[in-house]
Amino acid sequence: MKRLVTIFITVLFLGTLAGCGAVPNEGPGDGTSSQAGGGVGGDGSSVGRPGGYGSNLDDPNGTGGGMRGEMGRLVHFDFNSAMLTGEAEEVLAYNARQLSKTSGRIQVEGHCDERGTREYNLALGQQRADAAARYLISQGIDASRIKTISYGKERPLVRGHEDQSWAQNRRAEVVPQ
Amino acid sequence: MGQVSLTGLIMGRWGLDQPFDFFKEYVRNGMAGIVTCRWGFGFLNRAEIAMKKLRIAVFSLLFLAYGVPAYGALSIDITKGGLQPLPIALSDFVDLSPDGTASPQGTSGHRINEVVTADLERSGLFKPLDPTTFLQTPVELWQQGPNFRDWRLIGADAVVSGAVHEKDGKLIADFFLHDVYQGSLVGKGKRFTAPVRDWRHVAHRIADEIYTRLTGESGYFTSRIAFVANKGDMKWLALMDQDGANRVDLTRDRTIVLTPRFAPAGEQLFYLSYERGPPRIFRWDLYTGKRTIQGDYPGLNSAPAWSPNGRSMAVTLSMDGNSEIYLRDIDGGGLRRLTENSAIDTSPSFSPDGSQIVFNSDRGGSPQIYVMDAADGGNVRRLTFEGSYNAAPCWSPRGDYIAYVSGGGGRFRISVIDPKGQNSRALTDSWMDESPTWSPNGRVILFSRQAGNQTRLYTVDLTGHNERLVSLDDDLNGSDPSWSPLIR
Repeated sequence: MKRLVTIFITVLFLGTLAGCGAVPNEGPGDGTSSQAGGGVGGDGSSVGRPGGYGSNLDDPNGTGGGMRGEMGRLVHFDFNSAMLTGEAEEVLAYNARQLSKTSGRIQVEGHCDERGTREYNLALGQQRADAAARYLISQGIDASRIKTISYGKERPLVRGHEDQSWAQNRRAEVVPQ
Repeated sequence: MGQVSLTGLIMGRWGLDQPFDFFKEYVRNGMAGIVTCRWGFGFLNRAEIAMKKLRIAVFSLLFLAYGVPAYGALSIDITKGGLQPLPIALSDFVDLSPDGTASPQGTSGHRINEVVTADLERSGLFKPLDPTTFLQTPVELWQQGPNFRDWRLIGADAVVSGAVHEKDGKLIADFFLHDVYQGSLVGKGKRFTAPVRDWRHVAHRIADEIYTRLTGESGYFTSRIAFVANKGDMKWLALMDQDGANRVDLTRDRTIVLTPRFAPAGEQLFYLSYERGPPRIFRWDLYTGKRTIQGDYPGLNSAPAWSPNGRSMAVTLSMDGNSEIYLRDIDGGGLRRLTENSAIDTSPSFSPDGSQIVFNSDRGGSPQIYVMDAADGGNVRRLTFEGSYNAAPCWSPRGDYIAYVSGGGGRFRISVIDPKGQNSRALTDSWMDESPTWSPNGRVILFSRQAGNQTRLYTVDLTGHNERLVSLDDDLNGSDPSWSPLIR
């Protein structure tokens, strides 16, 4: 058992490293635009999501995503879609199993990429949060434990302005309260 | 050309009206106050008669449905895109001392003219001429009236003469607009009075007056912009004059605030705030500073829209399973659901008569623009069929067009379409333009443009011409603009 825990922590740690590695990699891809952001100042802190979630990013290339996804609280969506993918359902099912062992409340947050209008993205983010919440409920989690919130495109996970960043920003997150 | 002098102007009664205590505080914070004025009646009528006799169109005037010429002779048809701006000579206003003589030390006249010049130039409809080419000094122009031959010589079609003096802490500005080719006045002389600190407001009113007399359209320079300012990780609500001056920051913390919306009378704002956790709509009374939450419904509360009479609002709520548009009294009662389907419905905007609501829905598989009856959500028509992303509609205060965001080819542009779904055209071409809002006269669209991590405010004519940056101090980002009605 102790060994299992050690392996778990090690994997989590490696996952964190890998995840953290992935975020700065957005920098070069982001090129000139991220430099422009530097001029605005304080770039990055408005992302507002503490580092731990870096480990949970789906790998866009699909390599090694399984293990990290299984432990994540974060699911991704296609452009302009609130439909749960098979992978997203697996992640949520895992979350439901974890949540069934506790009684705490959670907030499901819906997020969008930066393309599209403010208000449409607020509605789309809500759809994503609701879709994730409904799936958790279908897995036996009491609806009274779940609150949903949409941040639209206000809280991107990463700051880039290309496909890979957008894919990471289109997400729903399960956040314990 | 009759002798124009200050004594000739002092007729009628001019008053300062300051009915709202809030404005005293507002003005202390640097905002322009309220100025009232009245027309000077009963003099210089012969100028009007002369104008009616002869109509010389400076540009070929096509009187479209709304192209009503103001004063006949000298006028601009602003319904045509890309026209040649009208050359206008804007002379510094003469600073007068209390006895009516010109005072060389004064600076008010110069700075008023700077603001008038900037307003008219930015409209794209006027080309203010270089003052160093003027053959008459401001004092000569004011005291003797224009020497029209001199103004013709430098290519001016119109010339403005004005003077300003101070009395009891108030700034009193008088001006005349002259038609150079007819050698006559355009309209009567006019006087504006305001507290000295509100000199910019006086200048904007003068610019509005010139714009109106020469275009036949109501002006828009005495108006404000509410927007979301952003720097670093701070986002806050701010107000400023339409030219970017006199910015006042209304909130300043780490709470996300979005989508301010001016009330039809310009005294209140709706906006979205995350201060209670989930996004909720608040109404901010600018006159009292009082804030009121506009309902606390489960799930998403967003996209507030004022009805034109200011008594009810349309709002997007997700409490019934997905985002639907509802109608609600401002004070809380009478919640009515207007849309009912499994798709997103949001971004409502009322027609100026209040009978229709244009909105955004993806019920057809992609976000498109639709119109419905405001009373019950009936009679739904789809307006847009081109492109896979049309959103954020905003109905012009004139009613003739709806501005919206059209996405395609990885770009999001500001476009317009008429309420029948005809005559759509893209006005801008950029990577991410959004949040269109109309000038009070429905001729100019203000929007935000994102480029990388920067977001700036821009204006563009309804014709798609004259795209301009609205400059903000301190290298701020600006988004979510809302253009106020005229502030008088």
